[in-house]
Amino acid sequence: MLDTATILAGLGDAFQPVTLLYVLAGVIMGQFVGAVPGIGPVMATAIAIPFTFGMDPLAGIGFLVGINKGGLVGGAIPAVLINTPGTPDAAATALDGYPMAQQGKPLKATKMALYSSVTGDTFSDIVLITVSAPLAILALRMGPVEVLGLMLLAFAVIASLMGASIARGLAAAALGLLAAMVGTDPEHATPRLIFGNFEVYDGLPLAAVAIGMLAISELLARLARTRSAQAATIDIPRDQLPEDRRVSFAEYWACRFTVLRGAVIGTLIGALPGIGSTAAAFMSYASAKQVSPDRASFGRGNIHGIAAAESANSAVMGANMIPMLTLGIPGSVSAALIVSAFMIHGVQPGPFLFEQQGRLIYGLFGAMILANIMNLLVGQVGMRLWVRVITAPESFVLTSALLLCFVGVSLAAGGLFGIGVMLAFAVLGFVMTAFGFSVVVFIIAFFLGPRFEISLSQTLALLNGDPLCLLDYPFGLAMILAAPVLAVWLARRRA
Amino acid sequence: MRIKSWIAGLATGLALSVATTAQAEWAPKGPLTLEIGFGAGGSTDTIGRIVAKVMKEQTGWNVIAENKPGGGGIAMFTGIANRPADGQTIGLGVNMPILVNLVTRPGEMAFNLDSFDYLGTAGRAQLAMIARADAPFDDVAGLVEYAKANNAPIAFDAKPQELAMRKVMQAAGVEFQFLSTKGGAENVQLILGGQAIAGFEAGEHLPFLEAGQLKMIASMNNERHNYAPDTPTLVEQGYPIYVDPVFFFATAKGTPEDARAALTKALADALASEEVATVVLNSLKSPILNMGPDGTEAMLRDGLENVGQLFK
Repeated sequence: MLDTATILAGLGDAFQPVTLLYVLAGVIMGQFVGAVPGIGPVMATAIAIPFTFGMDPLAGIGFLVGINKGGLVGGAIPAVLINTPGTPDAAATALDGYPMAQQGKPLKATKMALYSSVTGDTFSDIVLITVSAPLAILALRMGPVEVLGLMLLAFAVIASLMGASIARGLAAAALGLLAAMVGTDPEHATPRLIFGNFEVYDGLPLAAVAIGMLAISELLARLARTRSAQAATIDIPRDQLPEDRRVSFAEYWACRFTVLRGAVIGTLIGALPGIGSTAAAFMSYASAKQVSPDRASFGRGNIHGIAAAESANSAVMGANMIPMLTLGIPGSVSAALIVSAFMIHGVQPGPFLFEQQGRLIYGLFGAMILANIMNLLVGQVGMRLWVRVITAPESFVLTSALLLCFVGVSLAAGGLFGIGVMLAFAVLGFVMTAFGFSVVVFIIAFFLGPRFEISLSQTLALLNGDPLCLLDYPFGLAMILAAPVLAVWLARRRA
Repeated sequence: MRIKSWIAGLATGLALSVATTAQAEWAPKGPLTLEIGFGAGGSTDTIGRIVAKVMKEQTGWNVIAENKPGGGGIAMFTGIANRPADGQTIGLGVNMPILVNLVTRPGEMAFNLDSFDYLGTAGRAQLAMIARADAPFDDVAGLVEYAKANNAPIAFDAKPQELAMRKVMQAAGVEFQFLSTKGGAENVQLILGGQAIAGFEAGEHLPFLEAGQLKMIASMNNERHNYAPDTPTLVEQGYPIYVDPVFFFATAKGTPEDARAALTKALADALASEEVATVVLNSLKSPILNMGPDGTEAMLRDGLENVGQLFK
């Protein structure tokens, strides 16, 4: 255990003006790139890393943390305002956020997203700061079999809740897994389904697929429906009541259990490497819907839906740092990027991190909490600005968003090839939506596909050809068995 | 005084720029692209970005680092091999994935070792076989003994590691199970979690060694590691196999002599800088090692033979 002096010195470092300024700059940048469809916080972090070379370590890492946290809040903005989540994390937020915005209450919807996002994030940061060690040990116990079981469980929950029917949900999941198989197989590294395209050796570019399916297909469909060049994207009534523009404390307090549940789900899933925030957001959304007395109102602008999705996807961020700081194992791509920033600054993540770099780590904790507060402040201003943007004519807003998607994907996913992939998946997304297949289930399966396949192959290697060996993994076995049961139960409840 | 020193500075600057122009006649027309064969955030990415930054500062060229991930560098080098040899683009990759693909699927590759002009190397990765500190063995012989009586899952993140262990398996007449992972960090995770009995790691395991949570079973390189001179190599432990991952730079075959010379020099200067040395030491745990154009080519051709043996 560290002495109090080190902890205080570290926290004090976070309040140095330079650090404060960089964290603030990171949050502003993060919220902006998160809100602009097509770039996203992961890519922004990757671009920002070289700029931190010359900075003081804490300022540099604080800057990157700010970008990440700002990006999580920013991602909700296009999801709510134009139903085009820039990153899949925010897809669950769009389910209720967009209907609420369409009802003329975009500011209320984005503010609820902001508050629950910051709450979930702060919750998981506090868990990280106080009880990360036991959680890390729990995460280590989760071997390939348990991870496989958890993913099957996530597939079961999501596939049976989204889309027109459970059969179509499962079909969409299967299609997503098929798309995830493009590239080289993890077992023997032989290329498959690439049809001579060397660009897809590492798989279809994630950004191109996600933006094509989630944003482009929606943008094109909306543009096709646009009747007048002058109509506002979202009509906000002039005589709007103040309570439709803000979230009162009573409304926030009424969502406390939803937010808390989301934060717990997000923190647990975030502590395990490789599952990720998109699945966490949907699991939280699904459970909020299940326990709600008014299930029918979900998907029609229920404020609980926004709270559930945003608290969970933001809680993943802090918890992702648990395996990274305690074991040196990054839990996600953003955490991996922060590890590489640590290493450039001569800090080696691993079991000695707290002993050798205690002051820096507590500085980082201070910066994380500060970033949450700044997220709240910057968000208050930013949301108003974005909502103002959205009152511009639809023909302008949607075409600008379309252009940004093209630019973002071209940067992130290898130029024209990435754009081709994006357009192909936009068409697929359009067709799937038309026939009642959930695009979101497809995307989640596509995202989790590589990890799913690796866990499956590792599980098979561990079992060594003997199914009875599964009995050595009671926890994993229980989850594998629970998945079909849960799917059937959820489908029946829905019917 | 101020104006005087300002003028002096200006004069020096002018003199320097004239001198540079006179020395390096060749300069890229437009930006020089440094393509990195892996995604953002890994060790190759780190090396590529710091080299691009220093090279830009030293030469004044507009050097742009760009990630071209795919197939462990195959996608990027396919592009390099098939573009005009004008010296506008250089690639940074790792030899092992290239060699493994050239050995196993020569017919499907759009290039071979003759498709490139080589510029230099950044250094080699020191790959270690590791196990949890409380594992009931300390060397490969002990691991083999353990595998006779137990399941022995091995975590690996690159094909050559698995193939080396399959050689050990054949020679010793035991059976390992192979857990394919996405990277060294996951190998450590599976070992610490007890799901794998041994695995591989190229640097990130050092703090775990110090903390007494992991131990090193063998050096997988042909030499012992600089931080663990007492741990013998796999070859020394009786299995004549090694891997030798090296980060190298190359451009298209047939690049004009003067362009090649200028690029080689610019790269060598950047690699010789203290800034690059510090960053590479942080991410690779080993010093900068620039083998130069001929050394790089020789390293790859020898490596092809070694990998060929692994796959026999």
